[in-house]
Amino acid sequence: MEKKEKTIDIIKQERKVSPQVLEDRKTYSRNRKAIMEVLKAGPKSIPQVAAETQLSLPDTTYFMMALFKFGDVQVNSLDDMDEYYFYELKKK
Amino acid sequence: MTDNQNAAATCLDETQFDVMVIGAGIAGAESALKLGDMGYKVLLVEKEPSIGGKMILLSKVFPTLDCAACITTPKVSETARHPNITIHTLTEVDTIQRNADRHFSVQLTKKPRYVVEKDCTGCQECENVCPVITKDQFQFDLTARKAVYIPFNIANPRIALIDIENCMLCGACEKACPSNCIDFTQKEQQLQITAKSVIVATGFKLFDPISIERYGYGRYKNVITSMQMERELAPTRPYNNVLRPSDGKIPDKIAYVFCTGSRDHTVGNPICSQVCCMYSTKQAQLLMGALPMADISLYYINIRAFGKGYNEFYLQAKDMGANYVKGKIGKITEKENGNLILRFEDILTGKVTEKEHDMVVLSVGLLANPAITQVFKGEKLELDPINYIQQPNMLQSPAQTSLEGVFVAGTATGPMDIPDTIMSAGAAATETSSYLKRLS
Repeated sequence: MEKKEKTIDIIKQERKVSPQVLEDRKTYSRNRKAIMEVLKAGPKSIPQVAAETQLSLPDTTYFMMALFKFGDVQVNSLDDMDEYYFYELKKK
Repeated sequence: MTDNQNAAATCLDETQFDVMVIGAGIAGAESALKLGDMGYKVLLVEKEPSIGGKMILLSKVFPTLDCAACITTPKVSETARHPNITIHTLTEVDTIQRNADRHFSVQLTKKPRYVVEKDCTGCQECENVCPVITKDQFQFDLTARKAVYIPFNIANPRIALIDIENCMLCGACEKACPSNCIDFTQKEQQLQITAKSVIVATGFKLFDPISIERYGYGRYKNVITSMQMERELAPTRPYNNVLRPSDGKIPDKIAYVFCTGSRDHTVGNPICSQVCCMYSTKQAQLLMGALPMADISLYYINIRAFGKGYNEFYLQAKDMGANYVKGKIGKITEKENGNLILRFEDILTGKVTEKEHDMVVLSVGLLANPAITQVFKGEKLELDPINYIQQPNMLQSPAQTSLEGVFVAGTATGPMDIPDTIMSAGAAATETSSYLKRLS
């Protein structure tokens, strides 16, 4: 296939990235790293991950489900009380 | 015919249509399909990146519990492949003006996708390398998506687009794309077309319950809308099961609050939304299947199960164990563990009672979507008192509007369920065809 000139350099001259986008990107990167670091030790539930990462429970849920969607984590099993799932790193 | 003539003919074909259908939800797609089958040249205009409207995002449909995607996807696919139908996604109508020849001149704005549509294979390599996430509007903010994304798995067209407002312009997608189809030089396009007739199929808006502060939506994570629950129950759901957004717990006491934003003068929507009783009953049945141990309570004012098989469907939910409570919710408060206390008036006993649930679903109503009236220049598309498109001859010609040559289909006329929407779309196609025959 014919190789085109990269168009990203053209739009960069026309648009500036908002500070909020950069901040959100940092937050995602930081939280992704923190959650995946905790899961290296083995499968954990969302409250367990929240306790170890110091993230709020809703934020942990949101980022865990994002990682689940993007294929970074997978479901391991359900706890004994049938309340919470354990999540683990997806082997790639 | 020479190549140049061919090109000119193609160009002519792409700007002159028998019918322009505004809105490619299930009503618009159905009208377009019917008219396309009759041999008319149809332009289908959709502001979203995918056709299929709200129905394509549903889990199942009542009262048959058929998979919504299994019904919608073939119809949407047939629409997209139809030789007589041209589709413009990410496109909005700016103006519609009637000419001296009674045809309509239409000005459209097509937003850039930043992806060359014909080259994208939907491989998602761009998504994999994109470092930015933002809330996924097609999952009603329950999870995230990347800045470059395919709207949802069964989107049509199933190709990527770039959310430029949330893009950090790193260029990773352009580097990773195996078909070189990322194009950041795309600009907004102004398109000029003519159409002999117009069908308005702009659907409805969902009521945003954030305006009813006492329900706590937006503040309490475990108070969600029925559309969010619809996504939790769909095969392409945001989570791995039905879970609480606050902590990922499997809920075991779920409450539904009927008539949220319907039959309520205080929020400006005094009418019944026609579908909330039944979609809540459907979700209750699906939840009892997905979470067999869960208690489902449904707080209602009146049950309106008026369609074919609807009352049987309601009775079936009761037989399965759904707990219908004739009660009006006063207030919802949150406990420290995320559980919710519902304070309500038990209409049968007249007593004010409180009950604890671990998740609350607000059965939100349907609102009119009247913005389309602004685009007609030189004449007025009339609305009814609730802001839906007025049907001046509802009994004899339900698709007729106040403007000659402009017809209406589906929930743009008022709240209705899917079978009625399909019938309304068929009526609009028939009346449009009849008008076009008279015109020629």
